[in-house]
Amino acid sequence: MTIRLITTVTALLALVTGLASAASYPEAPIVFDKPVTGVIFSHKVHMDKGLSCEMCHNRLFEMQAKKAQGNADFVMESLYQGKYCGACHNGSLAFAANTRCATCHIGVKGAKRLSDGGTQEETHEH
Amino acid sequence: MNKLDLNNLKNEGVENVPMQERRDFLKMGLAITGIFAGGTILSAVSTFNTANAADFAKKYPYSPHYSMVMHQDRCIDCERCMAACVATNHVPNVPGAYRTTILEKDTPDAVGGKREFIPVLCNQCNLPQCTRVCPTKATYKDQTTGIVLMNIKKCIGCLTCQEGCPYNARYFNEEKKAVDKCNFCWDTRLSKGEKDTACAHACPAGVRIFGDLSKQDDPVFKTVHQIEKAVWVLRPEAGTRPNVFYTKG
Ligand code: HEC
Ligand code: HEC
Ligand code: HEC
Repeated sequence: MTIRLITTVTALLALVTGLASAASYPEAPIVFDKPVTGVIFSHKVHMDKGLSCEMCHNRLFEMQAKKAQGNADFVMESLYQGKYCGACHNGSLAFAANTRCATCHIGVKGAKRLSDGGTQEETHEH
Repeated sequence: MNKLDLNNLKNEGVENVPMQERRDFLKMGLAITGIFAGGTILSAVSTFNTANAADFAKKYPYSPHYSMVMHQDRCIDCERCMAACVATNHVPNVPGAYRTTILEKDTPDAVGGKREFIPVLCNQCNLPQCTRVCPTKATYKDQTTGIVLMNIKKCIGCLTCQEGCPYNARYFNEEKKAVDKCNFCWDTRLSKGEKDTACAHACPAGVRIFGDLSKQDDPVFKTVHQIEKAVWVLRPEAGTRPNVFYTKG
């Protein structure tokens, strides 16, 4: 009985720590470079909007950076049909994917700035 | 070039637009609605109506009157246009050498997004400064198409044209030992029967629309003359009557 309890507690603890480490997301933004260079996705921005991991990491995206860009259908047309980012960027949950192009697209210039050292997209000067 | 943002700019008013400029644009079927950014942008709307359509299509002096209109807010700086231009027109890979490029401007507070990308190239002006200042006539306006061309054999590399150009559209090509510039892919595509430029062809986002302003059913003509839709040109104060237009949507 005691032994069983201890095992359960350990299992629970393991589960809790497991959850805690699963709850850490990458600080640096992910920048897609296929099919076009320079689409930015920031976990921080999205978590600050109060979204939960599950909203994206059940069927929309895997927990592996640049996985989705290996799929042939990772294109605007899919987003317009509600896939990938388009599940939310549809004009009701978040701004629609057929508007504000240069908000997601930081372009070759934006991607270069980030890879040249800036962690914040905002750090560049003009 | 100055930073540009049509959304947040203060309209400095049509009264600040020179009379000649207003007349020139009216002749093209465009009424000026204001100037912005210390005169570096001039916006206009079409006065097009079908009654006088045939009449003012004639106001475009060349045939074909090649022109480009940019759907600026669709530009994502993927730079496929630049890559296609380099490959098609053999632009050397050295800093400052380009026939077309993309300018970037921050718009942190704008509703439309955090940045804007602005594609630029030679504006193939109707009244070019470059051809006027060139001492050897190495650069000239093609009589038929209106494209500003280079005769590299005559170019002495004095760079006077570069100074004269309000659009920063010329660079010295070390390999050619002459100034090089965008010619709407005249030698590489148009003269061979292609219907568009390499950059317009490569654009995946529908930004660059290439066409003929002397034809009313041309997409460029239609976009520039859409009722109530603002179009604008860059650096109108130079008075060169550019043939590259910008719009949104
Ligand atoms: C708004 C959508 C969204 C939310 C919410 C979200 N993620 Fe992600 N996450 C993504 C996307 C998109 C990727 C990249 C997937 C790809 O490239 O295929 C990603 C990738 C990851 C990766 C892989 C990073 C790498 O470098 O390989 C981890 C780990 C991750 N997310 C953890 C989390 C955790 C933990 C949470 C909750 C705290 C979370 N994510 C919430 C969209 C989201
Ligand atoms: C689970 C829903 C969801 C998904 C999936 C999602 N987003 Fe978002 N995104 C939001 C919300 C909510 C906002 C903030 C609301 C708004 O600005 O409309 C936002 C805002 C943004 C912003 C603006 C950030 C800023 O600094 O203002 C960008 C850029 C962005 N998302 C990119 C993406 C990209 C790229 C993807 C796909 C890889 C994606 N998002 C997937 C919900 C989502
Ligand atoms: C919500 C974020 C988001 C917005 C807004 C957005 N895009 Fe995209 N875009 C993406 C993602 C994600 C991809 C695929 C990843 C990549 O190419 O790097 C992509 C890819 C593309 C591609 C290459 C693939 C294709 O569909 O041909 C083009 C072109 C493109 N976008 C144009 C646009 C234009 C034009 C707009 C505005 C009308 C726009 N995008 C707005 C996220 C966005």
